[in-house]
Amino acid sequence: MPVITIASPKGGAGKSTTAVILATELAHAGAQVVLLDCDPNRSISLWASRAPLPPRIAFHADISESEIVRAIKRHDDDGQIVIVDLEGVASRLVSRAISQADLVLTPMRATTLDATIGVRALQLVAEEEEALGRSIRHAVAFTMTRAIKSKQHTAIEASLTEQGVDIIQPPLMERAAFSALFEFGGDLRTIPAQGRMDGAAENAAAFAQQVYMRLTEATQ
Amino acid sequence: MTDQPAPFSIQLGALKKRDKEDSPRAVEKAVIAGEKHGFIDREPKRRGGRLPSPRTGQVHAKVLPHVAQEILEESRRTGKTQGVLLEEAWALYCAQKTR
Repeated sequence: MPVITIASPKGGAGKSTTAVILATELAHAGAQVVLLDCDPNRSISLWASRAPLPPRIAFHADISESEIVRAIKRHDDDGQIVIVDLEGVASRLVSRAISQADLVLTPMRATTLDATIGVRALQLVAEEEEALGRSIRHAVAFTMTRAIKSKQHTAIEASLTEQGVDIIQPPLMERAAFSALFEFGGDLRTIPAQGRMDGAAENAAAFAQQVYMRLTEATQ
Repeated sequence: MTDQPAPFSIQLGALKKRDKEDSPRAVEKAVIAGEKHGFIDREPKRRGGRLPSPRTGQVHAKVLPHVAQEILEESRRTGKTQGVLLEEAWALYCAQKTR
């Protein structure tokens, strides 16, 4: 059972949006997905309360530091993907969740502040790899990006690439449809049309496919 | 719209389980690694001892045993808390004393 942990100590980086997009796209592609909402802001719970859950998605909320390892292990079934959405703070819950991850995704907006704080998650992964004696695949996912890249975005991307950080391409674009998921629940195929739905669906699917590819590589 | 074919498909067989150590010792190692980078305990702490009672402003029956029932009934009738009734009674007492 591959475990994707979505971690960044920076709030508002797009963790929950990434989690919902990934869960719904991977489930649509045929995977059984379990979403674990470990964020006291309960963003995933809000999404889950808006509409019936899409097929093949289960969700559990209110998971504390002491329960996280057991909660991940409880869903330890073959052919199932567990997605852990964490709070945007530097807590022990994050360290524990990463210890059970096959893939750590660090969403960040293309701003210096997000990158500076988000990099702490990458440093934590490296430290845990050393402490646990196993490799933990990790990647950065840019979120809320614009069609035309800012200079800041280009510079941050170049700096991360230079340091050998894996960056998921395509990034998640700034789309009304993505934020509307939390207003209507469900997935991009069930919510009322918001702007260019085809573009949003295409972006989400391409992003999820790249994550899936990394996940299969990580579990080989 | 859910009938739309997925742009890619998941090979369930490719989603292989990878054993990850979850012993208390291994988890502790991860926690120590995290603390080096400021990932510390941020769980809300419960204070010890009895949980505080809700602040209802209610007068305990033992405080005014001979009139406790009457105060309770008056409180229910007026929709005021018993504490507010006592405040009003105290104001009346003070006003009477200064006359």
